[in-house]
Amino acid sequence: MTIQPVGTGLAVDIQQVGKRFKRHTDRRNSIKERLVRGRARKPEDFWAVRDVTLQIPKGSVYGLIGHNGSGKSTLLKMIGGIYRPTEGSITTDGRVAALIELGAGFHPDMTGRENINLNGSILGLPRKDIQAVTEEIVEFSGLGDFINDPVKHYSSGMYVRLGFSVAVHMKPDVLVVDEVLAVGDEEFQRKCFDHLYALRRSGRTIIVVSHGLGQLEALCDEIAWLEHGELQTAGAPTGTIAAYLKRVNSDEAARNPQIEAVRDDDGDPRAGDQSIRVRSARIVDLEGQPIGHAETGTTFQISLQITAREPVLGPNVRIALQHESGPLVTMVSNHRVETDFGIVEGDHTIDVALVDNPLLPGRYRVHVDVFDFSGSKLLDSWNDAVEFPVRSQSGEIGQGFVQLPVEFRLS
Amino acid sequence: MLTDLYTRRALIFAFANRDFATRYRSSILGWSWSLIQPLATLIIFAAVFSLVFRIKAPELGNGEGTSYAAFLFTGLVTWNLFSGLLTLSMTQLKSSGELLKKVQFPAWAPVLGASLVQMIQVLLELGVLVIMFLFLRNISWTWTLALPILVGMALFAQGVGLVLSIINARFGDVMYIVAVVLGALYFLTPVLYPITMVDGQNELLSWVVKLNPVSWYVEGMHDAMYSLVAPPALVVIGLLVGGFLTFWAGFAIFNRWSEDIGEML
Repeated sequence: MTIQPVGTGLAVDIQQVGKRFKRHTDRRNSIKERLVRGRARKPEDFWAVRDVTLQIPKGSVYGLIGHNGSGKSTLLKMIGGIYRPTEGSITTDGRVAALIELGAGFHPDMTGRENINLNGSILGLPRKDIQAVTEEIVEFSGLGDFINDPVKHYSSGMYVRLGFSVAVHMKPDVLVVDEVLAVGDEEFQRKCFDHLYALRRSGRTIIVVSHGLGQLEALCDEIAWLEHGELQTAGAPTGTIAAYLKRVNSDEAARNPQIEAVRDDDGDPRAGDQSIRVRSARIVDLEGQPIGHAETGTTFQISLQITAREPVLGPNVRIALQHESGPLVTMVSNHRVETDFGIVEGDHTIDVALVDNPLLPGRYRVHVDVFDFSGSKLLDSWNDAVEFPVRSQSGEIGQGFVQLPVEFRLS
Repeated sequence: MLTDLYTRRALIFAFANRDFATRYRSSILGWSWSLIQPLATLIIFAAVFSLVFRIKAPELGNGEGTSYAAFLFTGLVTWNLFSGLLTLSMTQLKSSGELLKKVQFPAWAPVLGASLVQMIQVLLELGVLVIMFLFLRNISWTWTLALPILVGMALFAQGVGLVLSIINARFGDVMYIVAVVLGALYFLTPVLYPITMVDGQNELLSWVVKLNPVSWYVEGMHDAMYSLVAPPALVVIGLLVGGFLTFWAGFAIFNRWSEDIGEML
């Protein structure tokens, strides 16, 4: 499954690894309980990781994704040597440093500088090597004179900045990073990423767990997806993330089958003379089947059921899309695209297709207004007619609200 | 296996350095406390046991009378080394739990680091003891035997401490049981009284006192420092080797049982 670069070895070789935990529901934790109640009932076993085989090539950035509780962190801790595998084997080439938590092991009463020494020793670096990188760490953390203050006086941001700086300067052969990429301000985060790239360029291996799929896609050479402790798939980032998101989406649909973006008229009084009334609004796919969410880049439709009490000439239906954060994203109307419905009477369905849905992931609210042919007389106004989420297949979140159909040309 | 101690010595010293630097950091008197505490104990106990209970210390080695305070402090220094290492090992491992869940390093490193600092404390007490004996002009070459005896005591205590600390990580009760046992053992060790006092007393009691290994070390110290009698060479070697073997066994057991320490604590 894994692509192994020619000419380089493996940094980590994981062979059919499993980790079993005993459930702590009925643990005889004190001697008295042991004596009084005897040996614990055969505890319920629970496999946090089962039968995982992965080969992580040297010099690669390897991502792990999956739900909370999918076994990612357990696997990381096994790679880092904190847990022993119950079965299978993990072979690592070189020194592993695990960043399970930044600044773990800092002593509050010691200064930043003293803590660099202590933390370096804990991470297994020889004393003279620590001294060699101390100034670099101070520089990178940007703490300046504060480095000589006890860390208990640090802000939380300063604390994690120092923690990250220490860990990445320990020059491990394999750096294991658990959800700690989002530290510090924007500027410091960029520095962190630059540093991670530099580490990779110098041939070190980085294994990272994160829920930031966009971040992972940009950073990783390969990604493995774990679910219930089992490996689902591993390989190129885009494909793995797409498979994962597809599962997440279908799981959510399976869990909440009723959640379709559909709303029926609740009979509330609305503005307008009500000669036409919108009876329901729903989000449907091209076949007209209700769907729970739209996907960026995939055509979907907003389907309106209307009833005209009397014949209405050329009504103008306006649909406004509002982003959950407030801004009006766009407003479309049939007049704008020069579609004339002619004389409308009785029950009808109006389908509005959003071709190659340009909306970026987020939640959107639909407001519907119906005017007469002149656009001056309001017939119906339904605010918050329906609300729907837009998701992304690729994991790309994007910036702003829409992706415009653009082309770049260099000449 | 014991070579790990050497290869990871920087880590042990780093932990020792941390504990040394932070031990009294928030107090005004700082390291003075390491002497104020035992001296206060000494004064109280010396007053109570020599004035109220009228316990007589044996003759000083220089033949110039007796000093209950000096006798008591000799035993106290030895006892403090034993009980200090035992208690500290347990609390230290427990408090390193959070870190052991996040970073992989040998779990004995913080324990041994803390013990090193405790030994500095004992050395300070030993310094006071030496000053006391200089003042009493109770001096002899036999003093040098105190070194192997104390080293043996430290190794013995650390061996027991390592085993107890790893059991305590699993069963939190052990700490409290040990506190009770130490309280009893204190009186079953000839610290407050000369060992000759148990002769002709309750048979069982006298046997317990004499079979208690800590008594051997305390007696060795009484001989070398107070009575200025050299214990037989075989005894000194026995105390040292016994201590070493206890440490070696304790270290091996600790390593065996601490493999899943990241999940235990």
